[in-house]
Amino acid sequence: MEKKKKEHEAKVSFEKALENLEEIVSRLETGDLGLEDAIKEFEKGMGLARLCHDKLEEAERKIEILQKGDRGAVEKKEVSVKKETGEIEDDDDLQGSLL
Amino acid sequence: MGDFFYTVTELTREIKKALEGSDAFTGIWVKGEIYNLTYHSSGHIYFTLKDDNALIAATFFKGANRGLKFRLEEGMQVLALGSVTLFEKRGTYQLNVAQVRPEGIGELQKRIEQLKKKLMAEGLFDPSRKRPLPFLPRRIGIVTSPTGAAVRDIIKVALRRFPNTEILIAPAKVQGEDAPGTIVRAIEELNRPGYGIDLIIAGRGGGSFEDLMPFNEEIVVRAYAASNVPIISAVGHQVDHPLSDEAADYAAPTPSAAAEEALPVKSELADEINYLYLRAEKALSGIMRHSATRLESLTSRPVFTDPARIFAPYEMALADAERGLSDAVNNILAKARERVLGIPDIPLRFSRIMQEKTHRFNRALQSLDQLSPLSVMRRGYSITLDREKRVIRSVSETSEGSSIDVLMRDGSLSCTVDSIQKGDTSGKKEERA
Repeated sequence: MEKKKKEHEAKVSFEKALENLEEIVSRLETGDLGLEDAIKEFEKGMGLARLCHDKLEEAERKIEILQKGDRGAVEKKEVSVKKETGEIEDDDDLQGSLL
Repeated sequence: MGDFFYTVTELTREIKKALEGSDAFTGIWVKGEIYNLTYHSSGHIYFTLKDDNALIAATFFKGANRGLKFRLEEGMQVLALGSVTLFEKRGTYQLNVAQVRPEGIGELQKRIEQLKKKLMAEGLFDPSRKRPLPFLPRRIGIVTSPTGAAVRDIIKVALRRFPNTEILIAPAKVQGEDAPGTIVRAIEELNRPGYGIDLIIAGRGGGSFEDLMPFNEEIVVRAYAASNVPIISAVGHQVDHPLSDEAADYAAPTPSAAAEEALPVKSELADEINYLYLRAEKALSGIMRHSATRLESLTSRPVFTDPARIFAPYEMALADAERGLSDAVNNILAKARERVLGIPDIPLRFSRIMQEKTHRFNRALQSLDQLSPLSVMRRGYSITLDREKRVIRSVSETSEGSSIDVLMRDGSLSCTVDSIQKGDTSGKKEERA
């Protein structure tokens, strides 16, 4: 059950979740909801805010470059960059292409 | 001797009329080599165009040569666009030039135009083929030279906008004869599903017309069009769009602009979520306060305050409910705030307010659990369900002899209704806390 929920969340895009959150906020702000429904909506909104937040943190900062290994297979190699300039720090020994 | 003759002026004017009035000599491209070149101090440029067998004088006036992007040189092969004019006083004709292009480029441009028409006819550039870019790409692929300015610009902008971006670079040569093959190879590689790339940025920084030629090559343009992953063409250019722009899902004028388009600003998104959150919270507490007020006006009626004895137990329940309600407001808000406030990168002004709030509401957090039905049950309440698992709120929702389930915190009872007493025991419970 928990796993299914996770899978479902993975499929919901950030954009969709944000959109749903906006809708919930508008519904709450109209003031038409009864207390019970308002709390339900609010909790749903809380879940969506959480989901959005998780999505923002999902990726880890990582910069990799593809290089052709000894046997011709393509391999990933992690590189570090200077944040201010975006420069790859050890670009001297990098291959210029995969061919 | 005939009676009819022209004066020199008349003849010259007739020739001038014939020359300058003819479409054959107006707005024509002439190919030749530059010879006797003079950049005059007035700003006009004078030269002669020649080939093996002939020559023609050319004037390239200040107003026309202002747009010239390179310096003419003696011996340079060029294509000159102009019209033939005649100068009466000297009896000479010349090409009045409007535009000059290096000759090689003229050929290339013709080829590009032809390719563009062909691919357009195939539907490769149809607007309907263009896909929207993902709103929040997790992994971005870059196709460019690992040592060029483009890769630096893209990385710099990407990290500034979204610090935890995953980037995978597929190196390619972006100029020279073998560039097209390497670009195609890199785009294809990044399309392999194993890499999980959401968006590709492929291009290079600005350069001369010839430098950008790989992005006009047929195999490269086709690779952009064939990419299963949405792709941005990011070739620095000022005037002529490379054909890769036409085939890509999105065309950016520079690599930096491509990165701007590819990624949202994370801190702005975090702010937006927080802001929505605060609005939701405000709206909910308004609704809750409203309910609390209604409850209070009920309890202050004489029927409740006066014959206190009868209603005493219910008054207590009400007080409890009221407390529960205000707890509910605080607790839900507290929990929610705490959750949302985990988001980093909130600008300072924002985060200070948030910190205060978090602190204030954190204290209310511990009692949060009291809200859930489970903790209510822990305090001795139970929930009654009918066979269809619907909650029974009124005695009229069941009948004698019915089977009902009573849920308690640690299990459930299956019961049969022996008898029903209609009465006032639930009069106030309709305002449920």
